[in-house]
Amino acid sequence: MPPLIEIKGLSTQFHLATGVLKAVQCVDLTLDPGETLALVGESGCGKSITAASIMRLVPPPGRIVAGSILFKGIDLLQLPEEEMRGIRGNRIAMVFQDPMTSLNPVFTVGNQVAEGLRVHRGLSRREAEREAVEILSQVGIPAPRERIRDYPHQLSGGMRQRVMIAMALSCRPELIIADEPTTALDVTIQAQILELLDRLKKETGMGLILITHNLGIVAERAHRTAIMYAGRIVETAETSELFRNPLHPYTRGLLASLPEFGAPGEKLSTIAGSVPDLRNEIIGCPFRERCPICVAACATQEPEMKEAGAGHSVRCLKAP
Amino acid sequence: MTALLSAQNLVKEFPVRDGLFAQKLRLTAVAGVDLELFPGETLGLAGESGCGKSTVARLLTGLIPASQGAIRFHGKELSGMDRSEFAQFRKEVQMIFQDPFSSLNPRMRVSEIVAEPLAIHRIGTPGERKQRVVSLMERVGLSGDQLSRFPHEFSGGQRQRIGIARALAVSPRLIIADEPVSALDLSIQAQIINLLQELKGELGLSFLFITHDLSVLRHLSDRIAIMYLGRIVETGSRDAVLSATLHPYTEALLSAIPSVHPREGKPRVIARGELPSPLFPPTGCPFHPRCQYAEELCGTVRPELLEKEPGHLAACHFSEKNYRQRSSF
Repeated sequence: MPPLIEIKGLSTQFHLATGVLKAVQCVDLTLDPGETLALVGESGCGKSITAASIMRLVPPPGRIVAGSILFKGIDLLQLPEEEMRGIRGNRIAMVFQDPMTSLNPVFTVGNQVAEGLRVHRGLSRREAEREAVEILSQVGIPAPRERIRDYPHQLSGGMRQRVMIAMALSCRPELIIADEPTTALDVTIQAQILELLDRLKKETGMGLILITHNLGIVAERAHRTAIMYAGRIVETAETSELFRNPLHPYTRGLLASLPEFGAPGEKLSTIAGSVPDLRNEIIGCPFRERCPICVAACATQEPEMKEAGAGHSVRCLKAP
Repeated sequence: MTALLSAQNLVKEFPVRDGLFAQKLRLTAVAGVDLELFPGETLGLAGESGCGKSTVARLLTGLIPASQGAIRFHGKELSGMDRSEFAQFRKEVQMIFQDPFSSLNPRMRVSEIVAEPLAIHRIGTPGERKQRVVSLMERVGLSGDQLSRFPHEFSGGQRQRIGIARALAVSPRLIIADEPVSALDLSIQAQIINLLQELKGELGLSFLFITHDLSVLRHLSDRIAIMYLGRIVETGSRDAVLSATLHPYTEALLSAIPSVHPREGKPRVIARGELPSPLFPPTGCPFHPRCQYAEELCGTVRPELLEKEPGHLAACHFSEKNYRQRSSF
């Protein structure tokens, strides 16, 4: 089976007055149909810009400077904008983190869910509305026929996130990119939304790229996981393999710092220091200043991604 | 042992108007909360957004007045305190806020921010204050030469350290921390949790730790109280609440947390529906519309918070009956 999406050597940069910020550096990713890939990292590591690059929605002054993004064999980066518009929101859809700022406050939710259907599938106003009601009920919104007349502010956070998912699903996309879809929600609502995404994925066979910093969600929901640090992918593996056998010192540090692993009251293990400023030229390994196993070569040589086992790759000179 | 800080039947109502011409309504954010905090202990207060946990924090620090009920500090009621007693209370109870971006004045230098509580409480000479500020900064892991910088020059984790230094400046007995790590990245979270834990041991502080992250709660708390819709529904020692859970809401909350440990086939309990509006709370037990064990009685009679096991209280009619089938955290 050919992969649903195959990203090779993606680099995205922001040309700022103060220098060039290399937000995404040489990212390789593959996703098969029906698969969930988790993209994990701390704020500023480039995970959201990777998502925006796939959608070709990198905000200026950002620019994709290298790489290819093959979606079912078509390179999205070579498509004219007009054709990209036919894919965006139609075959690849996105769920954003904050439903309060990503929904338009002056349109009803029905209007917003129906918009994609009218644009991409050419449905009439009435047909699109009927379809919108159907989709809203699928994502678990009670009384959808009444709710489509509501404005976003009339709904709770959980309901708004469901509307966002309904919008993303409206055209039956083959790929959904969900950027921190539950971070703004309470845990009991988060559980409902994640269950819903899983169910819809099973029903429709779509692929899901899940961007999150919550390792618990990753462990429970993702088939494969890619860990990002300073714009690079530093480790990727099947999720269970990654949690059982983390190889990159950053991955190990992240897992060890979880309160879940420490005994109550005991000191948590931490990663010293903080992330490097991506506006500065990074020579060698970007993690070396925080790394417990760094050697002299790390300061001069940027490590290559190397195979460490079946489907398990790591970007570290010292990793086994 | 007498409690450092205690609250009896604490109630806070806010008047709201639902629309321009609608009648005035009362939103009961806190509906009768009893709390006790002993010297040197950490009480973890957990619940979802809108359950009233931040309102409890603001009531306990005296930032807003209670509609009903009494708060006692060292056994003395807040409302009966004179000026100097109240100033002493304000000095001994300090707060750490969630958002390290909006809780520091962007136009003040770090040295001014940390020294401000000392100036307000007229502690020390300007020279002594300066020294105290330097030692506080070093204690929380920042260097003394960063003192003349402004908050925006620091990262989120560093800003939270500044907030902690400010709270410690006047040598408080109790720190009320409202979600102090939830805005921070994972690797930074662990650093701040360790710092708070160290300070607690060193200075013998008491903590009221408010969070919705139960793994943080488990790590830091001696006792835990779970809130739902303005009420405490379960409270007890950490292990009792997390491992021998009595209330179905606590159970749903624990079950909803994504865990890096395999669930080992434990069925996930998902609370149905959403938090009801505190403007129109359900009759009977506030959790009954979402509860999988609810029976007829739950819709009509509100269960009191009662001691079900020694030191372990829950507000549920059927906690004994359902307890046996429950899983542990």
